[in-house]
Amino acid sequence: MKERVVIVGGGIMGLATAYHLARLGAENVTVLERRFAGYGATFRTGTGIRESFGDETNIWMMRESIKMWKALEEELGHPTEYRQTGYMFLLHTEEEMESFRRNVSLQNSLSVPSRIISPEEAKEIVPPLNIEDVLGAAYNPEDGKANPFLVLQGYKKASLKMGVKIHEYSPVEGIVERGGKRVVKTPRGEFEADILINAAGGWSKLIDRMVAVPSHVEPYKHQAIKTEALERGQINPMVVSFKHGGAYLTQDIADGGVIGGVALAEGPTFDMNPTLEYAIEVSRHFTWLIPALKYVHIVRQWAGFYATTPDKNPVIGEVAPGYYIISGFSGHGFMMSPMATKSLAELIVEGGTSAPLDFYDPHRFERGEFREAAIQMG
Amino acid sequence: MRIERHPILTFRRGRRVKFFFNGREVEAREGETIAMALYAAGIRDLSKSQKFHRPRGLFCAIGKCSSCLLTVDGIPNVRTCIIPVKEGMRVEASEGNPRLADNVPPPKKFMEPETHRTDLLVIGGGPAGLQAAIHAADMGARVTVLDEAPMLGGQLVKQTHKFFGKRQLHAGVRGIKIAEMLIEEVRRRGIEIFSRTSAVGLFPSGEEKVVDAVEAERYLHRFTARAVLVATGAMERYLPFPGADLPGVYGAGAVQTLMNTYGILPGERVLIVGAGNVGLILAYQLMQAGVKVPAVVEALPRVGGYFVHAAKIRRQGVPILTRHTIVRAAGSGRVEQATVAELDERWSVIEGTEKTYDVDVVALSVGLRPSVELLQQAGCSMRFVRELAGLVPLRDRNMQTTVEGIYVAGDASGIEEATTAMLEGTIAGISAGFYLGHGDEKWQERLERARAELEEFRDGPIGREVKKGIERVLI
Repeated sequence: MKERVVIVGGGIMGLATAYHLARLGAENVTVLERRFAGYGATFRTGTGIRESFGDETNIWMMRESIKMWKALEEELGHPTEYRQTGYMFLLHTEEEMESFRRNVSLQNSLSVPSRIISPEEAKEIVPPLNIEDVLGAAYNPEDGKANPFLVLQGYKKASLKMGVKIHEYSPVEGIVERGGKRVVKTPRGEFEADILINAAGGWSKLIDRMVAVPSHVEPYKHQAIKTEALERGQINPMVVSFKHGGAYLTQDIADGGVIGGVALAEGPTFDMNPTLEYAIEVSRHFTWLIPALKYVHIVRQWAGFYATTPDKNPVIGEVAPGYYIISGFSGHGFMMSPMATKSLAELIVEGGTSAPLDFYDPHRFERGEFREAAIQMG
Repeated sequence: MRIERHPILTFRRGRRVKFFFNGREVEAREGETIAMALYAAGIRDLSKSQKFHRPRGLFCAIGKCSSCLLTVDGIPNVRTCIIPVKEGMRVEASEGNPRLADNVPPPKKFMEPETHRTDLLVIGGGPAGLQAAIHAADMGARVTVLDEAPMLGGQLVKQTHKFFGKRQLHAGVRGIKIAEMLIEEVRRRGIEIFSRTSAVGLFPSGEEKVVDAVEAERYLHRFTARAVLVATGAMERYLPFPGADLPGVYGAGAVQTLMNTYGILPGERVLIVGAGNVGLILAYQLMQAGVKVPAVVEALPRVGGYFVHAAKIRRQGVPILTRHTIVRAAGSGRVEQATVAELDERWSVIEGTEKTYDVDVVALSVGLRPSVELLQQAGCSMRFVRELAGLVPLRDRNMQTTVEGIYVAGDASGIEEATTAMLEGTIAGISAGFYLGHGDEKWQERLERARAELEEFRDGPIGREVKKGIERVLI
């Protein structure tokens, strides 16, 4: 494919899309990143990867993504620290039990091996867990996590090798039409685009605005924390509790430190400052769920954006002729990046994909169509 | 071993207490921190490194590095150099990373942070912070001082030498004496003091600044202030060479803390790396305490510190080897020997010039870097300035940073010395006083005077370099 493709955003979406486009034969792919690759949401993610969703399409997308995650390390020739350590949704009320029984049965019908386990089983899997108010848990051993820093480096390296051009510190300052083509302006010069892809995550609406199309993606500030290093293997799965502050936490593969967060968001906003309120909320809920964490220091706390749409599902597809978007993942972009980016690349190069991209149609909101909100954490 | 007799210092030791290190009973004196008490008991090897299980000892001894982290009463990674011992305390070196206990009961009640309100919050009770606190309080501001260490005074508490300069700048007075005077002044004014309290976050929110701090690694405090002075000082630089991680390779300041603050002998024979003022003064202080100094090595072709300090130790027979560096430290589990060698014009070791000394301590006085983490986190504009020894905040002539109401003074604004820190503290304190709506013409004059004194003090060759650096961060 000879068309000049310009991708705005050097996060996981931008770089993985570039990678798949190049693999499918696109010869002229340029990625523009306003800071350094990964600066946006990718390097700020909570690292979880799960197919434990509550609707068919997201389960399908994640099931396929997990197949790709498993092969990614070899494919990119770069470590990813991807591990299938599971997700464990703690259930504290009969209503939660009921709703997750439904999720599990839907997941099982799509060959996801999730199951409802007893509090005792949950404690066996996560020994320091407090099961005082736990009625049961929904557990899927196929879910997992990966290291976003390594994964992004892997995509970057592999893309560069295939001839993709990546310009860091190149913020897009304007997009104009000239001779029927879009021209993307940056301090490093102009880039003509036959095909323009908005992969700007939390900043997507700014790009939509430059192209003069309506945007449905808003930046919401979410935060996360990391503790000091701990002996590995004590909290393998991502432990989630909607009752306790929407907390999610797991141990990092590299050093065993706990990474996670709670549901305390602000927005829409472009502010990325971490707050003490958040650290306190994290401490309050984490020390309930894993009481031994009361002895452990938080060593890092940061904020990032969930690029959020009205129904918490992404927008993937063509917005206007030659202008595509892959954004609005609302907190589950990193995990879904393999299949999302591959299917968009197929759509662009081959004109079609086996993935159910209609579900993520960027125009659905204008038609008044809202999907059932995807399960979201943090 | 504790120092029993010292020509200048008298050590007031607390009652005997017992605590446990890896299950073994250790005797300490009340007032000592855990790491100091262990050192006095002859324990230099505190823990093992995570990956290669190499022995780890002290390094900075003022809570700025991670060398002395141990598990204390079940809490992992406690900075044992700044946490005082308590009767019955259980201190353990964890093998590998700490493990989460399976059966800790969930907290019955979540402890909310204790909240405090003040006008000026001073972070760091060293020469800069205390001077600022005194001046702002005299102008009528309500002042609160936080410090990580168990005592106020910053690094003055280990300076046994007499200061230079003009009489009104405490010339001829020993640093320890200046610390006592400043602390007395602070107490007399009823300034609120939180020691053993580490500021962990500085959040400017409009007119108010919020500072979150942890007391004794356990209790959370939240301070709301209208102005904040960051006077967090500096931390020692490290020098990599084979064996540099052996217990016995310490920052020069750590050796001073052991010896002059806690009255504990750092060793029998100490090689000093770096002939700036810190290295030279340390050599002299070691000899005062009866410790042998076989040599001071300096990579530069000349001595960096004041001539009088160099002359004093040369008179005592200590060679200062310029154009020399340390090439390795060796020993089983702790430093037993150190090898130095001569450098050529291009800083490479000249073969055949190695000399090996039998020493049990290598003190590194290879410079400091400003402790600027809080300023950076608060969003102050920063710049790397070689003359100021690292990343420092931009500031105006009043020592206000680019964030209104946040001030900086002392080594955190660029590495100099205690006298300049006190003057900068004075300037920042008075400026903060004005910012808070206090002060009159008399205070304006006082401010001008401090500026003039600082200007004059920086007239030497070192000061000129510093001034060049300040030009680059002045707004």
